[in-house]
Formats: sequence, structure tokens, C-alpha cells
Amino acid sequence: MTRFTAIVLSLGVLWMTSMGSLWAAEPRYGGTYRFPLSTDPPTLDPAQITDTTSHSVASEIFNGLVRYDAQLNIVPDMAERWDLSPDKRTYTFYLKKGVKFHHGRECTAADFRDTFERVLHPSTRSPRTGFIDRLQGAKAYLQGKAPRVDGIAVVDPYTLRLTLEQPFSLFLHLLTYSSNYVIPKEIADKHGSEFTSHPVGTGPFRFVKWQHDDHIILEANKDYFKGRPYLDRLHYRILPEEVTRLEEFKAGNLEHSDIPSGQFLSVKHDPELAKRLVSYPILGTYAIRFNMEKPPFKDNQALRHALNYAIDRRAISDVILEGRVYPAKGVLPPTMPGHNPDLEGYTYDPGKAKQLLIAAGYPGGQHLPPLDLYFNTNDTHQKIAELVQAQLLELGIRIGLRSLDWAAYIKLVDDGGTVLHRMGWIADYPDPENFLTVLHHSRNVGPAGNSARYRNPKVDALLDQADVGEVWEERKRLYQEAERLIVEDAPWIYVYYYSANMLFQPSVRGLRLTGMDAELTIAPQPMALVWLAR
Amino acid sequence: MLAFVIRRLLTLIPVLVGVTLVIFSLSYISLGDPVRAMMGQRGDPEVIAQIRRDYGLDQPLHVQYARYIGRLLHGDLGRSYRQHRRVTDLMWERLPATLRLAAAAMLIAVVFGCTAGILAAIKPNSWIDRLVMVLALLGISTPVFWSAMMLILLFGSVLRWFPISGYGSGNVWYLILPAVTLGALQTGYIARMTRSSLLDVLRQDYMQTARAKGLRDIIVLCKHGLKNAAIPVVTVIGISFADLLTGAPLTEMIFAWPGIGRLMVNAVANRDFPVVMGCTLVFALVYALANLCVDLLYAYLDPRIRYDRED
Repeated sequence: MTRFTAIVLSLGVLWMTSMGSLWAAEPRYGGTYRFPLSTDPPTLDPAQITDTTSHSVASEIFNGLVRYDAQLNIVPDMAERWDLSPDKRTYTFYLKKGVKFHHGRECTAADFRDTFERVLHPSTRSPRTGFIDRLQGAKAYLQGKAPRVDGIAVVDPYTLRLTLEQPFSLFLHLLTYSSNYVIPKEIADKHGSEFTSHPVGTGPFRFVKWQHDDHIILEANKDYFKGRPYLDRLHYRILPEEVTRLEEFKAGNLEHSDIPSGQFLSVKHDPELAKRLVSYPILGTYAIRFNMEKPPFKDNQALRHALNYAIDRRAISDVILEGRVYPAKGVLPPTMPGHNPDLEGYTYDPGKAKQLLIAAGYPGGQHLPPLDLYFNTNDTHQKIAELVQAQLLELGIRIGLRSLDWAAYIKLVDDGGTVLHRMGWIADYPDPENFLTVLHHSRNVGPAGNSARYRNPKVDALLDQADVGEVWEERKRLYQEAERLIVEDAPWIYVYYYSANMLFQPSVRGLRLTGMDAELTIAPQPMALVWLAR
Repeated sequence: MLAFVIRRLLTLIPVLVGVTLVIFSLSYISLGDPVRAMMGQRGDPEVIAQIRRDYGLDQPLHVQYARYIGRLLHGDLGRSYRQHRRVTDLMWERLPATLRLAAAAMLIAVVFGCTAGILAAIKPNSWIDRLVMVLALLGISTPVFWSAMMLILLFGSVLRWFPISGYGSGNVWYLILPAVTLGALQTGYIARMTRSSLLDVLRQDYMQTARAKGLRDIIVLCKHGLKNAAIPVVTVIGISFADLLTGAPLTEMIFAWPGIGRLMVNAVANRDFPVVMGCTLVFALVYALANLCVDLLYAYLDPRIRYDRED
């Protein structure tokens, strides 16, 4: 069994169960898919995309060199194939011929060079330079010290050579990012920062119209290099309120919808809606993170353990989240490659928590300094924080709750201004590096991901070794060992693993949902595969 | 009159400068960083610093302010940090939706509010009066998010008379539920104000005189009563219309109406200061102009008010 087989089987079973015998029907062409979005995409310029909503729409307009398949393996997209040099630094991509942009011009290797250089150019102000700056000479170009990026070579119109400063085994994952989607330079230059309103790519759907805060229309690209999509149109509707989305879905005005918080059980027990419910685990972990640089959690493992044993994860999962998530035992969610099912983690044990509090020097919570749990303003975070507050009070630990909007909150967390804060993490790519190294390596303390400000040289060494490893089994062993040490150190209170729970109309076919498909935006689901049986 | 209008327009300049100063200062002391918010959950500190430099956010407040005012004098409200587009474009795109909703809500509020207020005033302490006052109180005190959801459930989901949400490319059916939601609140205010103002006027001696001259009640009411009772009502209508023009974020969120209120709320959440600044300036302008219009209407409604004699 491969490392992804379990995920695929579980998702397949869920989906086939929900859709029953209609699964086998023949695909049909035509129809409009009415797709809800919770917010107006901030941009459709790939170089500026940082959010899942923009990514979801852009992924239908543009293509990259590579993409994920149904098993979350990296497979060719615009590239037909690629080679990796023996020193693991140089990737040579052989591009598909005859692929055309929506305005009719053929896409060649030079377009990829122009695209990558545009992302890196200082005037673009792209927030995602980090997804391509491992190329040789990229940093110098970014700082305006070089006229070109040395690591990009156009060998011929259909051959592109990318050379990295250092070997990086996850480089292909970075190329799946929307910031690395190819765009035509002449159109980008013509519109400048207004390219977001005139996006032109090579994707299965071409941009037609965008009425901001209302809707976006894409129509099928009949000349798409993989064959025209089944759907005629994608009609994205921007509906900020989750209750409105559900009512529109019930009225048959949307092809799918998420489920408002607090309504999961009523949906589950509704005979009609229950048939349309699709649930699957996604690659995400929700936690409350300690600040490992500040007392009382600094250098007090027993206190961190006490809080981990004091939290009833099952109550959070079942009562607040209505059973739609899974209590967490560690960092890596179950569907992430490298997840360790034998990890013991922490279970609810108030007796043990009391003993650990004594060992920590705070019997019955006495003498603890004032503690505040910070979270970004959101109903679910608020309810979880209140339950955590009540559970800790049973041990005599009093905590205050502090809610801030995202912009203020993330700045405070970045600056190490909290002692306790909540944070969820959804995978950027399906590799343990994205959870363990990004969120726990000492070089990433602060805004780069390690908001718990956790430092452990042994863990750093294991992660460094695992990140450059070439043999998956060896990498897996190293990551699991690192995760064991991390969980033992307990820089987080591990709360739950995320899942996606959505409603789809019975007519929707061709879905290929994976653990990377976020709720509502269902990217990277390729909409070119979706069709409507009506 | 013209001199008065010019004088009032000139006083707008210090008001708008004051608004820019206050908002700039607030943005400086508020928690949060627009570039960090833009980066998502994690961001490379070097990239964050670079983008902050590019936007000039690393400069002292007075330098940033001077640059902003310099651009503003050229009619440039700046570019959104998050959407990378001109603030004027962002506002201009949403203006038609905002105007439509505000006009429709105001129409509902004026028609129903004034009618109900007049009926209540001419039949004081009757069942009509009590009913009107109870409904007005309900309109004022019912939270918008609740009334919006009830209208959606009843008329959108159950009866299916109206679309649940969206702008519908200008189709009038999409306008009705959000306009009724917003209009209900303003209807309550206008009905109460009309009633109390008209009641006051109806007790005046000149109304008795008009009746004693043999004029019919309807003539007395329309010719002498309503015009004189209109001044406070016009004030409420003017300010209500300004309220509606500056957006109704909750109603816009629930009905997915693409108006300026949503733009402003999202901009504040993301610390998108150029958009916040642009919206605030325009809102200040709208309020100032609405007040000016109300003042000018006073002169029409009450011949005793003459602005050219102020000096």
C-alpha cells in the first residue's frame, strides 16, 4: 500500500457513498457551475495571490509547469516531462507544444522565464517571491543587483532549465503554487497592476467578467490543450454569509455549499441534505500554542504537559464542532504522509494534569501569573477558547480571553506578544516538512511559521536531515522521530485535525477531492473534470 | 444664498483635512500591519520588510502624510495595498449598487414613514396611532441581521417570491429584500419624527385660525400642517440618506450586495489604509453635502429662514 492509498480509499468511499449509483454515468458537456466564494478574491494576478479564494479561481484560468494528481503526487501540467541533474540542482522541463494562451499566442519556455522574473522583480512587489527565490541568482535579481536570474535558462522554445542555489527536494511542490502560473508578458505589461482585472492564461476556463463583491464569470476554453472542459461556464458568486450560502444551496441556486457553524447536526439529520453531504479529512491541525520564550511556559515542560492533559479534545470536537473534526494527538494530521498512528499524544486526564501542575511548581494553579489566551475574532475560536477556559478553571488555572481581528492578531503573534494563542495550519503542500520544519524549526521563529518560538537543536538537526533526504522511508523515519520529540516538548496544545464538510447537488459529477481541497473553495479540484448530470 | 453655499463648501476643506489627519493618526497607532495581513498566515520577514519599504510604510508618519496629501491634491486617492488597484476605481465600481440600495430604502422609508406618521398624528391615541408607534418601535429596535435573515427565509426560501441574495445585474427583484430590510429601520425613525412634529404643528394657533376660516381639514393639513412639520423630518431624512449612502455593511453582507459598506469593512479588517482613507473622505463629503442640502431645504420650507441675512 502506498503512502497515499489510505487517503484515496477513504475519500473515494466517502464520495461514492454519497453519490451512489450515479457515479458511473457518462460525462455530459454543457451547463453552468454556480460556485460560492466567501469573499471577493483580492486579486487574480498570480504574482499577488496569497489566499485560497484567489487561488481557487486563478487555478482555472492559469497553468503551471506541474500540478497535483488525485493522489497528491506531482505530475506534469504544462511540462510534458522533466529531468533532474545528478547534483539535484538543475531541473530541465520539456514543455508541451501547441499550448496557447487565451489570446491566441503559443506559450513557450520564454514565457516561464518572464513569469518567474516578473514575480521576482522588485516593482511587482509580489508577496510570494519565496516560492521561486531558490533559483540561482534570484536573490541578486530581487535586490536589483542583476539584470536577469542566472538560474533560468531558455534552452529552446520548448525546453526550460531551472538551476537552484542548493538542492531542495520540495522545489516541485513550490512550482504548483499560483504565483508560478505562466502568464503572457505582453498582456501583463499592457495592463500593469490592472492585470488582475484582465487575467489571461492557458487554463481550461477564460476570464469573462468580474463584478466585484458580486460575481465572476469564466467560460470554457474550447481550445484547452487537455481538451475542452465539460462545463460551459463557471459562475462564482461572492456570498460572505454562510447562512445565505446554505439558503441559496437549498433553493438550488448553488452547486455546492459549506455548512454554517452550529448547523452540522441539523444538516446531518435532514433526510434530504444528509444525502448531499460530503465529508473528508483535510491536511490541517488546530492548536493552542505556547510562547516558549516567555514565563511561565519557558523551560517548564511539566506545565505545558499539564495543560495538554487538562483539555478535553473530545468535548471540543463533539460539542462545539458537532463531531465534524478529529481530536489531535500530534502535529501531522492522519492523511499527511508520515503521520504516525502510534503517537500517543495527550488524552484528557485531569488527575494527571493536577499532579503535573504540582511538579511544575503551581499546585492548584496557584502563583501562576495572569494568562491570556489570544485568538482572532471568530465564533468557533471564541467557543473553543471559552471551553478551554472552563476546563482549565477546573484545575484552578484562570485564563483571560483576548480576541483581535486578524491584522492586529497576526502582528501581535509575530512579535511574540502572547503567552498563549490559537493557530490553525492547513498544508501548503502534502509533505511533513510543511508542518514540522516550517512550524518548528528554530530558523522559522516568528512570522516564518514558528509562532510558538520553539527551539530544540536535536529537532532542528533531524528536520535538516529529513528535508534534504532522497529516500522517502528514511525521511519518514526522521520526521516521525522529530515529531515524537516535538510532542514530548509540547510547544502546542494539540486540539484537533481539520476536515471538510460540504453539500453538493446530486447533479454534480467528476469531483476528485483530496486532503488539499479546502472547504468551499475546493482547490486544487480541477473544475475541467466536473460535469453536471442534468 | 449663493454666498452661503460657497461659504459652506469652503468650510469643507478644513473638515476634510481634519478627517485625513485623524484617520492617518489612527492608522499609525492601530495594531496590525497591512503588509503582514496581506501575507497570510506566514511570511518571509525580508519580503515583508521589502514591501513595507516599497509602500513607504517604513517612513515616519509625517512623511507618509505629506506624500498622501500631495497625491490627494492631484486627485489621487492611492492604490489598495491588498487589491493593488486604484481606490477611486474600487469605489466607483460599487457606487451604482450603493446608490440603488440607498435610493430604494429611502423611498420605502419616506413613503411608509411619512404616511404612517401622518395617520398617527391626525388620529392621536387611536388604535392606528398605537399600531404605528408599535411598528415604528419594532422597525427601529429589530436588529438588521435578524430581520434580513427572516426576510430571506420567508420570502426567499419558503415562498420563493424574491431572490435570496446578490445584485442580479441590476434586476429590481434582487433589490427588494435588502431595501425593505434597510428601509424598515429608517421608516421607524421617520414615522416617529413625522408624528411628533405634526402633532406639535396641529396644536398651533395658526392651524385653529385656518380651520376657523372655513378651510377643509385636508387643506389645512396639507397646506399649513405638513409644510411646517417638515423641517425636523427633512433633517432626519437627510441624515438617513447620508447613512444609507455611506453603506450598510451588515445588510450588504447578508444579501451579498456589492456596495461600499463591504469595501470599507474589509479594508478596515485588512488594514488597507488607502481604501479606508478614501472611503472615509468620501463619507465625510457625503455627510457634509447632505447637511448642506438639508439647510437649503429649510429655507424653502420656512420662509423665515434666509441665509443671505446671516451677516
